[in-house]
Amino acid sequence: MLKYIFKRILQFIPVFIGVTVILFALTNIVPGDPIKLIAGEKSLSPEIELQLRAANHLIKVDENGLPLLDENGEAIPESLAAQYGYYISGLLHGDLGNSYQRKLPVIEIFKEKYPYTIKLALVGIVIEIIIGIGAGMISAIKRYSFWDILVTLTTSILVAMPAFWLGMLLQLLFGIKMKLWTGGGFYLPISGAGGAISEFQDWVHYILPAITLASVSTAYAARIMRSQLLETMNMDYIRTAFAKGLSSRQVIFKHALKNALIPVVTYIGIDFGGMLSGAILTETVFNWPGIGFEVYRAITQRDWPIVMGGVTLVVVVVLIISLVVDISYAFLDPRIRYDKAKE
Amino acid sequence: MALEKKFIGRRGFVAGALATSAIAALSACGKKGDPAPAAPAGDEKAPAEEGKQPAAQESGAATQGGTLKIYRTNPASIDPFNAQEDQGISVVYALFDTLTNFDFEAGELKPLACESWEANEYATQFTFHLIDGAKFHNGDPVTAQDFKYAWERICNPKTTDSPSVIAYHLAPVKGYDEMVAGQADALDIECPDDLTLVVNLSASYADFPYVVSHPALSPVPSGGAAEDFQKFFLAPVGNGAFKMDGEWVDGQYIKVVRNEDYHGEKPLIDGIDFMIFKDLQTAFTEFEAGNIDITDIPTGRIGELSQRYGVSDDGYVANPGKQVINGEETSTYYLAVNCQDPAVEDKLVRQGLSLAINRQAISDTLFEGSRVPADGIVPPGIDGYKEGAWEYSKYDVEAAKAKLDEAGLKEEGGKRDLNITLVCNSGSGHEDIMQLIQSDFEKIGVAADIQTQEWAAYLDALQNGDYQIGRLGWVADYPIMDNFLFPLFFTGAGDNRSQYSNPEVDDLMNKARQTVDAAERIALFQEADKMIAEDMPLIPVMFYRHTQIASRRVNNLYFGPTKLMNFNKVWLSE
Repeated sequence: MLKYIFKRILQFIPVFIGVTVILFALTNIVPGDPIKLIAGEKSLSPEIELQLRAANHLIKVDENGLPLLDENGEAIPESLAAQYGYYISGLLHGDLGNSYQRKLPVIEIFKEKYPYTIKLALVGIVIEIIIGIGAGMISAIKRYSFWDILVTLTTSILVAMPAFWLGMLLQLLFGIKMKLWTGGGFYLPISGAGGAISEFQDWVHYILPAITLASVSTAYAARIMRSQLLETMNMDYIRTAFAKGLSSRQVIFKHALKNALIPVVTYIGIDFGGMLSGAILTETVFNWPGIGFEVYRAITQRDWPIVMGGVTLVVVVVLIISLVVDISYAFLDPRIRYDKAKE
Repeated sequence: MALEKKFIGRRGFVAGALATSAIAALSACGKKGDPAPAAPAGDEKAPAEEGKQPAAQESGAATQGGTLKIYRTNPASIDPFNAQEDQGISVVYALFDTLTNFDFEAGELKPLACESWEANEYATQFTFHLIDGAKFHNGDPVTAQDFKYAWERICNPKTTDSPSVIAYHLAPVKGYDEMVAGQADALDIECPDDLTLVVNLSASYADFPYVVSHPALSPVPSGGAAEDFQKFFLAPVGNGAFKMDGEWVDGQYIKVVRNEDYHGEKPLIDGIDFMIFKDLQTAFTEFEAGNIDITDIPTGRIGELSQRYGVSDDGYVANPGKQVINGEETSTYYLAVNCQDPAVEDKLVRQGLSLAINRQAISDTLFEGSRVPADGIVPPGIDGYKEGAWEYSKYDVEAAKAKLDEAGLKEEGGKRDLNITLVCNSGSGHEDIMQLIQSDFEKIGVAADIQTQEWAAYLDALQNGDYQIGRLGWVADYPIMDNFLFPLFFTGAGDNRSQYSNPEVDDLMNKARQTVDAAERIALFQEADKMIAEDMPLIPVMFYRHTQIASRRVNNLYFGPTKLMNFNKVWLSE
C-alpha cells in the first residue's frame, strides 16, 4: 500500500509541471497587459510602469533591482523560460509571488481565503453525504413508494436548476420574505461578508451557501446511490444472503451497501475536490470570501501570480483527493488491493 | 495672492447643505446643543472641545452612537500609498486628513490639516502652515516631516515589492522624475520647522493646493508606524476623525471607530463598518433585509426606489424619507476619437458625429434618466463650468447632416461614404450605449460597426491608438478644470487617447498653470476649453450621477460630487 501511495505521489510531479507550463504559456498568449491594467482607465507613467515590470520579473534588472536598459534606452524583456524559472524557484521557497493588483504576497491572500473555501466545502460535503446517500437509499429500498417519487422528482428539479439561481431564490425567501412574514423577527444574513462583525453567529452565514453549493451534487449523489443500490439488490449474492435468512437490515448494510457505494464515493470524492477548488458561482452569489472567486477575479484582471498560485493549489488538492478516493476503495471492497506482490 | 487663505476649517464642508435639514429638525424642538453647526466651518477658531456631546435622545435631534454599515467593493488599497479608486479612497478619507479639502457648498478649497498656505509669485513654491496639536492615531504629533515622508514613500520604488501606481499626483514636485526612476531618495520638500511644509515644484502649477486635497497625499507617521509595510497596508495609522479597529479583512470588511483624540469636531457615530461585497445584487439584498445602511442601486431600479424611499433634496444629502442620492458627479462619459485615423481626422466629421448623438435618449432608455447629457467635457460642479460650453456637444440632426455635407461626405441614397467602427469593453452595459449611438449615426447616413473587446484587451487597443472611436470615462482626481483639460488634451499627455495636439491649446494651459489668480486662471482654461470644443478630439456623452441609497435610520449623510462621503456629521436614528 505504501509503495502504491509513493508511486502515486511521484506521478504528481509530471502532472504538476504539465499543468503549470501550459498555464504559464497561456497567460502570455491572452491579450491584455497586466501591468497597464493595474492603473485602470487612467494611464500609468512610463517610469512607474518600468518599475512595476522590474518588480514582477517581467524585464531584466541590475543587481540593485533597477531596470536594465539596452543601448536605445529600452527595457529588456525577461524570457518566458526565465520567468517560469522564477516562479518554480519561488514555489520551492514557499513563495508564490506578489499579486499585481493587491501588492500582497499571494500566499498571504490564500491563507486568508482558503479557510473559507474549506469550511464551506466541508459543510457542503456533509450535507451531500448525509442527504444524498440517505435519500438514495430510502428511495431504492422503498421503491415506487411516495418517498421514492418525492426523491426522484426533487432530484430532477435540483439537477435542472442552476446553483446560482437556487441561491438567489433562497436569499429572497429566507432573507427578505421571511422577514415580512414574521414582522422582522427572523431573517438570515444573505452574504458571507462581515461574518464576525454582524449580529449573527458565524455558523448562520453557512446555511444558505452550503445548501446552494451542495444542491446539485446531492441530487446526483442520491440518483447514483439509488440506481447502484437497486442494481446490487438484484445480484445473486444478495438473493443468497436473503436465502440464508439474514434480516433485510443486515443484507443491505453488510452486503449491498458497501458494493453500491463505490461509484458514489468516487463521485463525492471528485465533487469534494471540486468544492475545495472553490465554487465560483456560489461564492459570487453569496459574497463568500473564498478562493474560487479570488481566482476568477484575478483572471479578469490578469493578476497572473494569483491565477498561477490558485491553479497550483487546485492541482495539488485534486491530486491528493483522488489519491484518497482510490485508497478508500480498498476499505470499501476488500477485493481491491493495490499491492499485487503481497499474495 | 488669491491663494492666500486664512481659514481654520475642519471637515465641515457639508455644513451648509446639511444645515438645511439639520436646522429644520432641530428648530422643531428648539434645543440648543446643535450637533451640526449651521455656520459653515472656517468662520472662527474652533476650540478642540466644540461639538463634544450633542443633546441626545430628543426626537428629531441628532443622536450619538451606532455603527454605520456601508457597501463597498474590495478596495485596491486603504493605505494612501496606493489609494487609487473611490472604494479605497473613501476609507482613506475617513482615516486621514489631507492638507486641504474642497468645500463644494462654498465652492472653494479650504484648509484641513493646515491652517493656511501661500504660493510664490510663479506658483512654483507652496508653503503650508500645519495645525498645531494634531495627532496621529498612535499619539505621534502630525508634523511637516510626516507629509514629506508620506510623499516620498509613494514615490520611492523600493518602499515595497511593487511601486505605487498613484505617484503621478506628485509629478509636479521637483525631484519626482529622479525619485520614481530609483536614482534619488528625496523630493524637493523642505521642513524649516515642525509645522511648516515648503514644496518646490518643477514647473508652475497654480492649482497645486487642490492636488494635495487628494486622500492619497495624506500624511503618514514618520516615527516608524509605517515601517512594516504589510501591517500598515492592512491597518493604516492616520490623523483623521476615525481610526482602524483591527485589520482590513480582505473581501469581508473594514471596521473603523471614532477617534476620541481627534483635534477637531468628533463624529456622532461610534464607527463605520465597510462591508465588502463582490456582487452588487447580494449587497442590495442585504440592504433590503435591513443588514446594511448604504448601498449602490442596481440598474433598472432607480425609479421604483425613488418612489418608495424618496429622493434627497439636493442629491447629495440623505435623510429618512429622502434616501435616494442622485447628485451629479465630477466625471464624464465620452467617446475618444482617434484623431490620427483618416476617416475621422477632419474636425467637421467629428462635430457632425457629435451632433448626431441623442444623449437624452441614452440617459432615458438605459439609465432611467440618471445620467446627464454632457454639454462639454467639464461637468457642472467644477469651477469654470459653462452651460453649453461645447457648441457641438448637443443633439441636432439637421446640423449634423450639414456638417458632414460641409466635410464633403454627401448623402447618396441615404448613405454617406463614411464607415465608423465603435469599440467598447464587453459587459457593464457599454454595448447598449454603443447600439443607440450606432442607430443615431445611421440616421445621418453613417454606417457604424460595433466591436466589443474584453477589458484588458480593450485598454491595450486604446493605449496603442489601435481604434477609431471608443468609449471611456474620466473621473476627476481634483475638482478643477485643469484635471479635465490637461491630462486629456495636452500634447503627449498619458491619457490623451485621442492623440490630440494643438500648440495653441498647450500654450494656454501652460499659461493657466502659471497664473496664481484663480479667476484669471479659470478664464484661461475656459479659453482653452473653447478651442478644444471647436476641434472635438473627443465626443462628450454623459455626466455621471450618484446612484446610491441610504436606509431609513441614516440622517445627514453627505455624499459629495467627488464620491467622498462625509462621516463626521452623520447620525443614526433607531
